[in-house]
Parts: sequence; C-alpha cells; structure tokens
Amino acid sequence: MKRNPLTLTIGILLILIVALLLFVFQVRQSEVVVITTFGKPTRQIKDPGAYLKWPWPIQSVHRFDQRVQNFEDKFSEGLTSDNFNLLSSVYVGWKITDARVFYPKFAASTTPIAEAEKVLERLLSNAKAAVIGKHPLSDFLSPADVGNRFTEIEDEILAAMRSELLANDYGIEIRFLRIKRLGLPETVTQSVFERMTSERQVLTSKSQFEGEAEAQKIRSEADRKAAEILAAADGQATQIRGKGEAEAAKSLEVFQQHPELANFIFRLNALEGALKDRSILIFDQQIPPFDLFRGSHTNLLSK
Amino acid sequence: MADLHSHPPEPAPPEPPVEPALDAGSQALSEALRSSFAIVKFVMVVLVFVFLGSGLFTVREGERAIKLRLGKPVGEGEKQLLGPGLHWSLPYPIEEYQKIPITEIQSVTSTIGWYNVTPEQELAGTEPFPTASLNPVSEGYLLTADANIVHSRATVQYRIANPIGYVFDFVNASNAVQNALDNALLWTAARFTVDEILTRDVIGFTEAVRKRLNQLIEEQSLGVVVEQCTVRSVPPRYLKDAFAGVLRAEVNRNKTLDEARSYENQVLSRASADAQSRIDAAESDRARLVAEVSSRAEQFLELLPKFRQNPELFVQQRLTETLGRVLTNAQDTIFLSETAAGKSRELRLLLNREPPKPKLEQPK
Repeated sequence: MKRNPLTLTIGILLILIVALLLFVFQVRQSEVVVITTFGKPTRQIKDPGAYLKWPWPIQSVHRFDQRVQNFEDKFSEGLTSDNFNLLSSVYVGWKITDARVFYPKFAASTTPIAEAEKVLERLLSNAKAAVIGKHPLSDFLSPADVGNRFTEIEDEILAAMRSELLANDYGIEIRFLRIKRLGLPETVTQSVFERMTSERQVLTSKSQFEGEAEAQKIRSEADRKAAEILAAADGQATQIRGKGEAEAAKSLEVFQQHPELANFIFRLNALEGALKDRSILIFDQQIPPFDLFRGSHTNLLSK
Repeated sequence: MADLHSHPPEPAPPEPPVEPALDAGSQALSEALRSSFAIVKFVMVVLVFVFLGSGLFTVREGERAIKLRLGKPVGEGEKQLLGPGLHWSLPYPIEEYQKIPITEIQSVTSTIGWYNVTPEQELAGTEPFPTASLNPVSEGYLLTADANIVHSRATVQYRIANPIGYVFDFVNASNAVQNALDNALLWTAARFTVDEILTRDVIGFTEAVRKRLNQLIEEQSLGVVVEQCTVRSVPPRYLKDAFAGVLRAEVNRNKTLDEARSYENQVLSRASADAQSRIDAAESDRARLVAEVSSRAEQFLELLPKFRQNPELFVQQRLTETLGRVLTNAQDTIFLSETAAGKSRELRLLLNREPPKPKLEQPK
C-alpha cells in the first residue's frame, strides 16, 4: 500500500471530527442540559460552553430551555367567601430549575414543557379555588384606600403554588404569578347592568336636583347678601344724615338769640320755597299787600 | 499542502520489479491522481472560502447582535452587544449569532377588557350589536372598585433596555410584557370606580396603570422601558345611553349653576351700586343740610340787628318783599274783591295738571 500524507491528514482530521462529535457537546446560553448514563440522569449543566461526555450508548444529552416560560391557566369559575361566582385566570412565569428532577418526570413525553404545564394547571386550579374561597369579592374590588387586597390574593396563590411545588419536587420554579383576567357569569353581568342603569338614573336625577337646589341656594344667598348690603348702606346713610343734623344743630344755637325772628324767617323761606313753581295764588283784600286795595294805609296811619 | 510537493520523489524503491510491467499503467494512474488532486485542491480552497464567508453578517441601525461561541456569549456585559456594521463569526457548530431589535419601539395592546370586535369591524368603525349581558369567555371587560363593568384598552410602546435578558431569560418576553400590561389594567381597574375611570380621573387611571406596569416590569426583570402608555375606556355599550344621560344632566347642572352665579354677580353688583348711591345721597343731604343751616344762621345773624332796630317794620317789610317775589314767580295770581256784607263767594277751580296750561273758570 502506498502511504499518502494527504489522505493520512484527511483521515486523521475525519477521525478527529467524529471523535469530537461523539465526545464533545455544546451547551447554548439559555439551555440546561442533562447527561444520562445508561438512561439515568447523572449530570446537569447550566452554564454555556463545550463539554466532554462518553459517546452515545453510554451517555446521552438532553436539552431543555431554561428561560422563563409563560403559562396562562383556563378562565375558570371559583366561589368567593361571600358566595359570588368569580371567573379568573392567572398567568405564571415559570422555569426549569433542576433538570435532573425535571427530566425523569416529564421527558417521556415529546413535549415536556406542555406536560409540565398540565401539572401547573392542576396545581393552579386547586390553589386558586382555595385562595379565592378565603376572600370576599370586596377584597378583589374596592378602592385603594378601602382595603383592596388584590396584590395579597395574588401573593397568596403564589405562596400556595410554591409550597405545593416544594412538597412534590418537579424541578421547576415559579418566578411570578399574577391575575390576568376576572369576570362574572353571564347572568350576573345582566344584573350588574341593571344595577348600573339604576345607578345612572339616580346620578342623573341627583345631578338635576342638586343643580337646581344649589342654583336656588346661590340665588337666595345673593338676594340676602344684596339686602344686607343695602341695609348696611341705609344704616350708614342714616348715620351720615344724623351726623349732618348734629353738625347743623350747632348752627341752630345761633337762632336762640331770637327764636321768634328765626321762626319768622323760616316761615318766610318756607313760603317762598313752596310757591316757587307753577302756583296759582288767590287773594282777597285781607292779605297784605292787597289790603292796600281797602285803603289799609289809613289803618296804618291811624295805628 | 506541502505534502503534495514532497510526493513525487517518494514512489517507493521496494517495488522496482513490478514497475516496468506496469509502467504505462502506473504512469497513467499517477497522471490521473495528480490531476484529480488538483481538482480536489481547488474545490477544497473554494469550500474553505465558502465556509468562512458564510459567517459574515451585517447588523443594521437599531439592531444589535450577540455572538455565541460554543453556545456561550462572547464578551462581557455591554461588550457582548455588536453594534451596526459588518461582522464575522465562525460557522455554526463553533460560533453562531443572534440579532436583537433594540432601538426599535415595540408596541403591545392589552388583550383583556375590550368588547368582542373583529379587526374588520374596527377598521370599518362599526360595532357589534350591544347585548344585555356579557359572555365572560368571548367578551372582555374589567370589574371596577364599585363592582361595575367597564371596557378599557391599554396600548404601550416600549423599548428593550436589556437585550441579553430579553432574549436569553424569557422564552417569549413580549408575551410577558403583554401579560404584565393585562394585569396592570385589571389591577388598576379593581381600585378605581367606574366614574373615575370614565370621566373624573381618566389621567389618574392611566398613570396608575403605567405605574403598576413599571412595577411589574421591575419585579419580573423584563428588561424593557415603557415609553408611552395610553388607556381608552368606554362604558358598557348596552348602557351607553344611561351614561350619556348622566353626562347631559351634569352639563345641564353646570349650566344652571352658571346662570345662578351670573344672577348672583348681577344682584350683588347692583346692590353695591345702590348702596353706594344711597350713601352718596346721604352725604349730599348732610352737606346740604349743614350748608343750608349755616347759611340761614348767617342770614339770621345779619338780619338780627336790623330787626332789633324796628321789629314791626322789619316784619312787615320782609313779608311784603317775600310776597312780592312770590307774586312775580307765580303763574297766575287772582285777586278777589271783598263781597259786600261778608257774604261768602263761590269759586270753582278745575284742578287738572294735564294739559300743561291749567284752565281757570271765571269766578261767577
């Protein structure tokens, strides 16, 4: 036989590649790998990189996704502690934490993830029923400041799930659990609608009534305030006039020197003032100066 | 390839006896081998180039790539991310690469809480016929803090802040964001009343959804940043009229109140104007009175000495003067001469101010 260095090199290279394929395997980021020796899980590798193993009949490699999986359970009915039928569905983020435990339990199936989710579904329906049954509807639905316990309920379901998973080791872990959907049975929604309708009617008439009442209040308040303002002004006016009179009274003292004369002057002024405008005067001979017509000057002279 | 060159001198000396017999054949074989080796050599070189060239890839703007060598990301932390440009990786079993959209804005819409409407209907702007009850499976809705039903839909725009986590920690990270958004909407609605969600605190509701979503993103390490969050809420369509009625009543109420307030303003400003004028009138009364009295007092003081000189004459004089003035000012002056023997006399007057010039009956 002729020894050809090229064939030799290629041969060695091929043998090397086959050996590599047989003895070396790769773990990708996000994967977890279980090595089984004669079918028994013996090793778990979570860190990415290249690793050595015995070839096929002795050891084999099983890969699983170790990223967080999303799972939603069915929208199912549960009874609250105050006997309301509440439909709910939750979602969980779960991942494989121990593939050595996970593998024997679920790897028989071609879709181990779906198989594991069936277990989760079962556990969830128990946990949900138990937790929802402990809470009245108002724990789910109520304003933030009046003891809304939504988050606590979620946490309780999560805690129940975790302890369940701890008790029966499935090699999986729940990272988070939240309620995704809540609902009421169809017949109940009908009565909710009826209640809402009457609530709306109450609000409508309340708005109307309150508006009118308040408007009336504003009006009468305004009237009252206006009256008050006017009364105060009248009071002030009276005061001012009184002050004026008091000031005038000081001048009146002057008249004390001869009250009869003062009286006479006042009357004269009053008379003049009264007859100032569009008046008709009717006189007879008695009244001066018309007494002159009677020859009263002689009277005067005789006086 | 150096082996090829050392090949010719090697044909083995241990076989010379056979050589002459097969000389022509071996010559031909050696020729054939030689030429096939040349072809193999060429093919191998081409294959090597194809093999190496298959590892070339470009990363576009708004994308990053991660290179995995033997399944393990190359580099540490931020350096794992390959920026835009041409990159090269060894072919598959040794290296591989994964692209991640990073600056591109992702959008997700809540899947719960909205009534059942097909995309076609939505595009056409039509709605399915409202029903008197809601099927919990097909119809989405939210329960509010006052146990009412409301429809809400949230849309969130987000950016991937931690691409490595987004790809390697979650099977479907966008689905996880979607679930978080659904929960945020549900959770927030459960603590707001229907009126707050629909009218009184729409902004507060949206903010609370966003806050809860951010909290969930942090708690679940989803590695995304919410850029924008919009929430749209409507009352159950079956109750549309009832809700509209409340709004109408509220508008009317505000109108009534506005009217009352304007009445209030009017009345009050009129009252204060009146008040001011009354006070002003009083002030002027006062001033007039004081002025009048003091002018009279002055007049009096002036007249007093004259009076003292001759009271009788003074009185007569004043009286006559005044009468004289009065008579000149009077419109009509009638003088009645005295009847004989003091008999009374009848005088008839028509007291009628209209027409302006009063008529006078002549005395009979």
